[in-house]
Amino acid sequence: MKNSIKVERAKKNLTQADLAKLVNVSRQTINSMELGKYVPSTVLALRLASIFETDIESIFTLEESDWK
Amino acid sequence: MNIPYLFPNRFKKIGWILFIPAAILGIYILKSGEVPAFFETSVLAFIHESFINSDSELISNYYFEVIENNILDEILVIITIIGALFIAFSKEKHEDEYINKIRLNSLVWATYVNYSILIISTIFVYNATYFWVMLLNMFTILIIFIVRFNWQLIKLKKEASYEE
Repeated sequence: MKNSIKVERAKKNLTQADLAKLVNVSRQTINSMELGKYVPSTVLALRLASIFETDIESIFTLEESDWK
Repeated sequence: MNIPYLFPNRFKKIGWILFIPAAILGIYILKSGEVPAFFETSVLAFIHESFINSDSELISNYYFEVIENNILDEILVIITIIGALFIAFSKEKHEDEYINKIRLNSLVWATYVNYSILIISTIFVYNATYFWVMLLNMFTILIIFIVRFNWQLIKLKKEASYEE
């Protein structure tokens, strides 16, 4: 799954640490999500969308490999 | 994120304080066989085995009897296990769903490694030495988990320090 957390974060002018605090996870988790190593739970995805004031689909997009 | 089956973070330190001395003393007692008579006391044994009479070679099981035992080894086993449980299953300073996932992965990994070692030992280790394998196997799953989980967390922190 691809995501645009890094882009959205830049738009809001937030550091990884700022965003981590806002969505109540560790900074490492934000970093791992941006690197595509960790797919967040629905709750965390919704929290991110809420902070970025957008909907989930504009942050996360499915890839071919997600159907396998 | 609230995970009900984990201990609070401060239990991790308590765990180390219990685990290290108990493990070191336990290994020393195993190696030396020295146990102070102070710990000699009466205990309730749900089951124990003993010679039928003093000159007999027949061994029989006895149930629910009070027997004499040196309880130092029992105390050390319990403290070591409780300490290891506290170290293994205390919350991290910043507990979140990713760390929880790493914890679960590490636990599965540790279980596989632990039982792989046990299977290999079962095939290749015999007699009294196998008893030692079983004895150490009481603790290895927790120790392997602690090493694996913390190694994964260190790796994660290292990765994160390169970015921003």
